[in-house]
Amino acid sequence: MPSPMKKKLVLIGLLAFALPVRAQTGGELHFCLHGEPKTFNPILVDDEASENIRYLTGGVLIRLNRQSQALEPALATSWSISRDRRAITFHLRKGVYFSDGTLFTSQDVAYTMRLLMDPETHSPTGDAFRSGEGAVQVQTPATDVAVITFPAPIAGLERLFDQVAILSAHSPKKEMAVLGPFYVADYKAGSYVLLQKNPNYWKHDSQGHALPYIDSVRLDIQRNRDIELLRFRRGELQLINRLDAEQFDRLRQDNPAVTRNAGTGLDAEELWFNQSQVAPLPEYKKAWFATKEFRKAISMAINRADLCRIVYAGYAKPAYGPVSPSNHFWFNASLEDPKYDPQAALRVLAPAGFRYENETLKDRAGNRVEFTVVTNSGNAAREKIAAMIQQDLSQVGIKVNVVTLDFPSLIERITRTFDYDACILGLVNTDLDPNGQMNVWLSSGENHQWNPSQKTPATVWEAEIDKLMREQAAALTEIERKAKFDRVQQIVAEQQPFIYLINKDVLVAVSSNVVGASPVVLNPAGFWNVDTLRLGPSPELGVQK
Amino acid sequence: MKSRGKLRQVCAAVLCVIFAVGLFAGTVSPYSYSKQFRERPNATPSLSHLLGTDSLGRDLFTRLVYGTRVSLLLAPAAALLATLIAGILGGFAGFLGGWFEKLILAAADLSMALPLLFVLLALRAVLPLDISPVFSVIATFMLVGLLGWPSSLRVVCAATRDLRNADFLLLARAMGCGRWRMIVRHALPNLRPILFAQFWISIPVFVLTEATLSMLGLGVMEPLPSWGNLLRGLEDISTVSANPWRLTPLILLILVVICFQLILPTQEETA
Amino acid sequence: MLVVLCLAGGLLSASLVRFAPGYDVDERELDPRLSPASVEAIRNAHRLNSNLFSYYGHYLARTVHGDLGSSEWLQQPVSSLIKERFPVTAKSVVFGVLLAWGMALAISLASVFFPGFFFEISGTLVSGLLIALPAAVVAIFSVYLHAPVFLAIAVVTFPKLFRYLRNLLTHAHSQPYVLAAQARGIGQVRILFRHVLPLVSPALFALLGVSLSLAFGAAIPIEALCDSPGVGQLAWQAALNRDLPLIMNLTLLITLITVAANSLANVATERAL
Repeated sequence: MPSPMKKKLVLIGLLAFALPVRAQTGGELHFCLHGEPKTFNPILVDDEASENIRYLTGGVLIRLNRQSQALEPALATSWSISRDRRAITFHLRKGVYFSDGTLFTSQDVAYTMRLLMDPETHSPTGDAFRSGEGAVQVQTPATDVAVITFPAPIAGLERLFDQVAILSAHSPKKEMAVLGPFYVADYKAGSYVLLQKNPNYWKHDSQGHALPYIDSVRLDIQRNRDIELLRFRRGELQLINRLDAEQFDRLRQDNPAVTRNAGTGLDAEELWFNQSQVAPLPEYKKAWFATKEFRKAISMAINRADLCRIVYAGYAKPAYGPVSPSNHFWFNASLEDPKYDPQAALRVLAPAGFRYENETLKDRAGNRVEFTVVTNSGNAAREKIAAMIQQDLSQVGIKVNVVTLDFPSLIERITRTFDYDACILGLVNTDLDPNGQMNVWLSSGENHQWNPSQKTPATVWEAEIDKLMREQAAALTEIERKAKFDRVQQIVAEQQPFIYLINKDVLVAVSSNVVGASPVVLNPAGFWNVDTLRLGPSPELGVQK
Repeated sequence: MKSRGKLRQVCAAVLCVIFAVGLFAGTVSPYSYSKQFRERPNATPSLSHLLGTDSLGRDLFTRLVYGTRVSLLLAPAAALLATLIAGILGGFAGFLGGWFEKLILAAADLSMALPLLFVLLALRAVLPLDISPVFSVIATFMLVGLLGWPSSLRVVCAATRDLRNADFLLLARAMGCGRWRMIVRHALPNLRPILFAQFWISIPVFVLTEATLSMLGLGVMEPLPSWGNLLRGLEDISTVSANPWRLTPLILLILVVICFQLILPTQEETA
Repeated sequence: MLVVLCLAGGLLSASLVRFAPGYDVDERELDPRLSPASVEAIRNAHRLNSNLFSYYGHYLARTVHGDLGSSEWLQQPVSSLIKERFPVTAKSVVFGVLLAWGMALAISLASVFFPGFFFEISGTLVSGLLIALPAAVVAIFSVYLHAPVFLAIAVVTFPKLFRYLRNLLTHAHSQPYVLAAQARGIGQVRILFRHVLPLVSPALFALLGVSLSLAFGAAIPIEALCDSPGVGQLAWQAALNRDLPLIMNLTLLITLITVAANSLANVATERAL
């Protein structure tokens, strides 16, 4: 071998030894948002893209560690909740500055809470704090102490502060001055958002180095998941936060090192029947949907294992209740999982007057059992679920039609006109604590989808759920709250107002030159620890990022 | 142009075969198009499943054959509807001329400017939910037909305008023929070849419109297959390179459209 | 006439959006974290646009002053949205049409000057092949091949353009005086520029108008599927989100362009007659 070549090889060999020892700091993390961020004001955030940007730029008082699911001090070094659970006192970190150099004091906390609780704002984050009539008071006895008093006790109060990004009261840059690891440097509508490292970020690693290690984050606005996957394969993107099951499967076959399955997630797909009294449906149909045995039988006749295997390539688990098993504390493990059994379903239907003859199911009056399931178009998984349920229910003689509508038309039907039989939609659960689902379980709630906004509970079991939910919100200990909510889960299992189908796994793709990524089940799955991520060298020898 | 004539015969034969297969779908394939063979999703072609199965385990060959029935039977119906509307409106517009013609042309321009996809979206959402899949397919094609007349209109209008100055009409007028009679007994029959040509051109256009609609998620209801439905499988390109037989619906579509084009008499022959 | 048509187009599309199902609903209503008061506020915000005619009247009055209103869905002024996105679409459409014209002219001229079965059939086959591809499929292929958007637009516009162009050129070339010119020994190129082209130029202008409006129409699904940040994608998303201000403005814009293109076609045809 000629000697210059030999020298080169030796050099490369040495580099190869040197490189893994210390990963680089700096570099740009490049991934995608799936929609246009509607606002950069953390108070007004209500869509996923804006929420992701808020996570990357916002500084919060208490951070929920996505991995351990425990609360950690962030901008507040410590906090305490009063005995009557109406007030919370924060001791704030000293010597912290916003990204533009303004000092962080308790006045900023007061300002943020005031904006958040402004009745004109209508932010989902703020609404979570609305426990009763009356204003929220914030006192700032010192520059590093803030006391927030609420009109009524709030269950799970500390967790809610994970969503409150503190705004500066005095900075001329208003909401663009931030306390998080990055700040918004550039935004081109429809194209990308560029975030730069915040030089004043308060967090330091164990050796005292300033975080974040990465210099910048580029977020492209890309709705098309196939294009996103293509770009990831080409190396243009380093992360895909939440992949589809089919894409994940294919990626795993080609390059298993980049795919990570964080486990069963909190999101569920569910089917429910229209039980609204004002629905323009024929009486006999309303009678079916109001019959508990009918709903239970449908639940027993759906093959959830097949749904997981075929629609989600095995990256999902059957779901039977509102809480996912990966929500360890709140999941009611004592409930029995019903088995898939069409014959048992027919047996359950018999006492309710349904007869199975000539491969069709008929009700007591002789009407053929037939209904239409609506779902939103553009979601391939949901359409497949509907098609599979169609076949499953044909085994018990029920004819199901599937109609896909665009989202606004669908919402109109399920919230205004109530002109539908059954609907399949997904529930996006960002919060472990079921208190955030109050509007779903209260019969007067807007999101009590099968029969929303009732003046008085229509059934005995809905009244019982109302009582239990109010009690768990007022209960003093977590154990008491859990006992109440366990009973709610039991009622849901008996009555099946929502027929839960599956819990999806959280699937993330991470390029091998991102060091320190460990995807978790809670949002944001792939970049929850963005401030400690590093961009290491590419796997190719000698190439540095 | 002997070779042209032979080519035309070949194309006609191909179209007839495809048409017949669609019509007698039941005898050609042994399975139902909706039956899900859940133990073998995404199967490769084999003796029992000639084109393999789709992601839900449904036999692709069966779905292609039944999809042919949907697309090839309904697209001509939609084309017929569109051509009739274009023929009537265009004929009257071209013949009467003046403000009436301007109005019709303006209306045509307007409907071409409106987002067709949005109109279809809205109309479909208005349809009642408890209709059978077959009826919804027919409704979709009828809607597409009702909204497809503007493109043919201009051609018909221009042709009628030419016709208006033709010799035989001048003669009829000189003989004292009434206006109405002229339109119905003399003008319209002479428009027939043009209308036929427009009808023939429109068929593949409507097949494609239905395909685009289905690819955007607004097409026929599950579990009914159509070519558009089947083309949705192409949305993820990387699967296609792994499963090249998934391209069959596209190839079939291209074949049919090309055949339709080649059968149409060329400009030289009609001149 | 143009103005009347545009205004009518805007009104028509506005009423279409207004009366289509799902108009005054908002996706945010399904968020369980919102209190009943917030949901009510969201619903009221949408209800403000009740009376269509007065809304349209106010909108037109504002437009005269240059204020095109604000998008509900994106919370940004419409004028800045259009200003950002229009160049993207214009670039794709113009390059696409230029490319399509270049290819169509090249092949049709070749088939005119080298007449024979080969060119005729291959031309028909290629254009038949391309016309058979749904715009959506072309978009997907162009994404996969990392091709720019204007290529997809060119592919979609080329076939129809080619057919008309070839018929036009063939018809013009077969005129008796062209034959006479050939018999006199005049070169092909000279015949082309001095005899054939002047004859067909009005029809060419008409065709240009038609191809522009065709390309613009194809831009909507192509941009939506390729995720290209142009006016087409904006229009599709606006339709899906029932964003009334945005849809009205975009329809006016699209009507303006389509009608302008077609008027060009009309004028050119009339001059030829």
